[in-house]
This record gives sequence, C-alpha cells and structure tokens, in this order.
Amino acid sequence: MAMRVLLTGVGSELGWKVATMLEADPAVEGIVGMDMDRPRRRLRRTTLHLADPRERRRILPVVREFEPTAIVHLGTWEPDARSAPQVAAARTSSGAIAVLGAAAELPGLDRIVVRSGIEVYGRSRGSASVPDESVPPLPTTPWGRSLLGVEKLAVAAGMVGDVPVATLRFAPIVGARHPSPLGRYLRLPVVGFSALADPPFSVVEVDEAAQAVVTALHRRPDGPLNVVGAGAVTVSQAALIGRRLPWPVFGPELAVLRRLSAIPEHLGELIHRGRTADGGRADAVLGLELTRTPDVIRQLYGWTPPADLKLLEGAA
Amino acid sequence: MSILTVLADRLTGRYEVDEYGEDRQLIDLLDPVVRQVLHVVVDGARFVPATGPAVLVANRRVGMLEPFVLSQGIRQATGRQPRFLGIPDVAPLGLVLRRLGGAVNRPDELAGLLRAGHLATLPLGAAWRRPLRAGALAPECIAPALDLDVPVIPVAMVGGELTGRWQVTVGAPVARPASRGPLALAELADEARAGVQALLDEAFPPRWPFA
Repeated sequence: MAMRVLLTGVGSELGWKVATMLEADPAVEGIVGMDMDRPRRRLRRTTLHLADPRERRRILPVVREFEPTAIVHLGTWEPDARSAPQVAAARTSSGAIAVLGAAAELPGLDRIVVRSGIEVYGRSRGSASVPDESVPPLPTTPWGRSLLGVEKLAVAAGMVGDVPVATLRFAPIVGARHPSPLGRYLRLPVVGFSALADPPFSVVEVDEAAQAVVTALHRRPDGPLNVVGAGAVTVSQAALIGRRLPWPVFGPELAVLRRLSAIPEHLGELIHRGRTADGGRADAVLGLELTRTPDVIRQLYGWTPPADLKLLEGAA
Repeated sequence: MSILTVLADRLTGRYEVDEYGEDRQLIDLLDPVVRQVLHVVVDGARFVPATGPAVLVANRRVGMLEPFVLSQGIRQATGRQPRFLGIPDVAPLGLVLRRLGGAVNRPDELAGLLRAGHLATLPLGAAWRRPLRAGALAPECIAPALDLDVPVIPVAMVGGELTGRWQVTVGAPVARPASRGPLALAELADEARAGVQALLDEAFPPRWPFA
C-alpha cells in the first residue's frame, strides 16, 4: 500500500537523509517535510513546510490537510545541537504535541516512528550500565526528560489511533557532517576526560540511524528499540583515535570545562558516567548490522565523502 | 604481547574497552603480577561451560579479594574471563574494578551480561564471622538466570588474604526448577546457596566437639 509520510525534523542531517531514502522508495506516494530550517541539501519529491515547532496553529492545518498514513517524528531538538537548551526543550515538547496530537485524530494513520535516545535510561549511581528495553526509563538530564516526554506523547497518540509506535532510542548520533555536541566536543584539539571515571560510551553513525528509521517505517515494530553501535570507547580513547590531546580533568575542572566549552548536561553526564545500551533487540527486529562504535569514531575523524544512501535490502 | 605493542596501542587508542568498561588488554598485562600474588587451585573446572552464559554463585567472607580470586582461578582453569558483580559504582574505585571486569550487582546488569554470553560471578551475602558458611542469596538477584534459562553453578572458595593461597571448588550446575514464577525463583536461589554450602562442607567437614 502506498504511504503518505509526514516527516518532522527534515532540516536536520538525519531528517534530510531519511527524506532522501524515502524519495527513492517507490512505496512512498508523498512526503511532507516540516522543520524550522531548510535542509542543507536539495530534496526533489518532498514538500517542505517551514514553521517553528512552537507555532501550533501553523502546524495543525498542514497535518490535517496532508492526511498522512505514516508519521516519522524526528523533530526532537538536542540541546546545543541546533538551538540553546531551553529553546530546544520547548521546541521538542511543543512540536511533539502538535504533530502527534493532530496525527492521532486522523483516520488513515497506520504507523508512527519516533526518534528518541538512550538518554531516557539516565545514568544515576548504581544504574544498569547497558540497559535493554525492559529497563524502566529514569532520565537524569533535561534531554533525557524531553525525549521521554516525546515517547509518552507518541504512545498516547498510538493508543488513540490504535497504531503501532516504533520508538527508536538512538545512542548519540555522530557523523563527519552531522552537527552534534558530542561530535564537536571530540573534535576539539584538546579533549577533557574524567580522570576518575573515564567510562565507556557507544554511538551510532548518522547514515545508519537514517536506515534504522526507514526500516522501522516499513517493518512497523511496536515499542522501544535501542539503536546502538556495538562496542564502546572511552573519551580519552576517542581523543587518541582522533589524534587529539586527552586532558584529564577532575570534579571542579569538569564544571569549568562544561561552562567554557558549552557542554550540555547530557554530554557532561556522558563524559562523567558513560552511556551505552543493549541494541540486540533492534538488531533482530530491524535486521541491521551497525558499524562498531570504535569504527564510527574513526569515521568521525576521517571526513570521508558521504556514503551512498540506499534502502536496506528487504526493507521495502 | 610485548610492552612496546601495549604502549603503542595505549598511545593510539587501539585497545578495546567493552560496554561494561572491561579492558582485556589491561587484564592480560596484569595477569603475571596477579599470578605472583594469588595462588589459586581450581577443582571441578569441567563444570564451567566452554562457551555461552552461566552464573557462578560463590561464597565470600569479606568480599574484597574473592572476586579477583574467582576470576583468576576460572581464567587459569578454563581460559574464560568471568565478570564479577557487586562493585561500588563510585569513582575512582568503580573505574578500576570495571576495567578489571566488574559490574554493579543488579538483575538487569546480570541479564545484560548473560544475553551477551558472559560468565558472571554472583556473590552470596558476606559471612565474615563464619567463613565456612554460605551467605544469603536474594532470589531477585538470580532471576535473569531463570528467565534466560542459564545454568547456575555453585562455587566454594576457601583461602586467606594474608597467605594468598586459595582453593576454588566448582560444583555441578544446580537442578533447574520445572516451573517459572516466584516460588521457582526462591527454590533456585535456595538450591544455589545449598550447593555452595555442600561444597564448603565437603572441603571442610563439620567437626563436633564430642564426636
């Protein structure tokens, strides 16, 4: 059956990559992309609507008029990625309410895919180091709380419309051209790491994150899935891989470093407490073979040309 | 593994730290030193599966050295590196213990390790006054073994921190309950604890004053 896809967050690198894949997919009849900013590269088949996610009155008519059969909600704003932390939280929350709320009332809707993150698990002391989807979310940062709020809205919308909701909890998304606080931080000439902890973290490559979104759209899984590259690295190790100078910092220095480098709270937590998750279920359900984290970190420093964007075999 | 190779890897980030923080290269590097400090004799290593997940339930007196003793013993006898649960999640001790294969003692942490195919060592409650008594085991701690159908193997450890000489006895896997649920879980925990106590009694038969 032909799909009409409403894609939020199309102005981001991830959104543009997903839109490009959907444009190449014959099963997709129409695409409407929504964001505040235009994508940095051209889209051919996607109808763009530019609006601030907080402007609900401009968003609702677009959703109602298009009558999508599928929602891909990537309009979650990571603090200090494309906007300041407080603005990011407001945009994430308002955009989710407007889009998911309006979509739930549409009779033709048959699937929802939402971008979330493993930040929802939090990293309080003594918590599980590598949580799987059965571990209850307990976010400990504003970004984690924002994402959990979006997840709850999506689940509520799914219940109203009686449609499956795939919640993709991504590890921090990085890529040579993907603007993210973690990517920026690791590419500083001197990279501070927690001398007393230096915990491991995992990441996912932006192209593969886009593939996961498109595959989830086709396979219609219901519930959360951790999308995480296997393996892990520590911050000091990542700096060494990138031939940066790893600089050991302690408690007070870390606070100073956070202020100097504009490190958002969730990135500070990653540096101090680590961030990984068990991606086994997503691998099985989506059939993905994600690049290992150390290799993604090497690519981050490699500045390789953009990979060909292809749908996974069998996804369509 | 030469020192130069290790040094080159350390300077270029070409070493592996897994999701739990374990640094295998560091463990290999420290192995000769640990062998000098801890003299571990292992009996019953045949009960440890060559591949796949298993839970080793072991007694402890204070619990400071036993995780390293058990890890070293199993590593020497089977070539497998077990992950020990029960580390404090505070820096910098947590960092060091994680690098050496430690993990926090939580059912979901154990479940993750078992899903990844690891051997995990689960400590019984501390029995520092009575070293030959197996401590308590809360049923919920061992729940992932029942859920994931993983063998539970009792292990008894006897030795001294001062002498550095330790005897590790691995027993046969305990019988699995036929059903699932809270009662089956409690029975599995009881069986595991009883298995450890039986191994301790076998190694050191109880002596009665007028026997």
